[in-house]
Amino acid sequence: MVAQQDALLAQMRRGTLQYCVLALLADKERYGFDLVRGLAEMDGMVTSEGTIYPLLSRLRRDGLVESSWQESPTGPPRRYYRLTEAGRASLEGFRLEWGRFRDAVDHFVERTARS
Amino acid sequence: MTSTTDKLVDDYLKRLNRELVGLPRARRRELVEEISGHIAEARSAMETENEAAIRTLLDRLGEPGDIAADARERFGIEARGSRSGWDVVALIMLLIGGLILPVIGWFIGLILLWVSDTWTTGEKLIGTFVVPGGLALPVLLELTATSAEVCGSLNGQEVVCEGGRSLAATILVIAGMSLLFLAPIVTTAFLARRRSRATVAPAV
Repeated sequence: MVAQQDALLAQMRRGTLQYCVLALLADKERYGFDLVRGLAEMDGMVTSEGTIYPLLSRLRRDGLVESSWQESPTGPPRRYYRLTEAGRASLEGFRLEWGRFRDAVDHFVERTARS
Repeated sequence: MTSTTDKLVDDYLKRLNRELVGLPRARRRELVEEISGHIAEARSAMETENEAAIRTLLDRLGEPGDIAADARERFGIEARGSRSGWDVVALIMLLIGGLILPVIGWFIGLILLWVSDTWTTGEKLIGTFVVPGGLALPVLLELTATSAEVCGSLNGQEVVCEGGRSLAATILVIAGMSLLFLAPIVTTAFLARRRSRATVAPAV
């Protein structure tokens, strides 16, 4: 039962990570290390930080984010990621669905917790 | 101290590059580049760099195998792609293709080797040059060497030349031939092992 729960949580995290990345990029462009730091601020969101990079690569290929190289004050140039219009639309769509889904689950799970 | 930490990072990136086999080359380069950039950024942000700090950093990044498994899943690439059947054919043809279909058989193996995503360029080079022609080369040499030892025929009987070679030369030839026989077999075993690298389910 516990193992099953772990697997479910892992799948949920994996499925929603993409939108957390899109959300982090919504207000400003960021480079990979900066994104990872942003995600790590919330405990339990990422367990293996390196897996952010395959995700970013995939998002870029799907046209949800785009990237450009910019000089860094401290070292070699950085690849900055920013949302595309498609990425913004995808994030908005998820936001609506997620709100509904969260409310629905809360409706049942929280009620049993109270009673 | 610095060399130890450099070596840790270097080993990690090498392992990552190896594990990413199967992904399109451009994706693979991008991922190694990005993660190498991540490590560089993290290192420059460290107050004091020591082995423990580097190990912690690499642990947080995760096992190269896990990152590679995740990447494969993201890009919809099976751990052992549909090409794996062709990979086996490639290895067989490289080894004994030249015996089944002289010359052409080995070239078929060579083409299959180079179009496969399974091996790195370095491994493909080894597959190509150790030994060109596979087992066909030593077999061919063995055959020509044997026929050369027949000097001619006398009254319908073959006459074998004797004493043409010194003992040292004979030993040298035997050693060389054994090496030529052994090398393609070892190469094939090496490439087969590289192919069967275990791929685990992605960590999340």
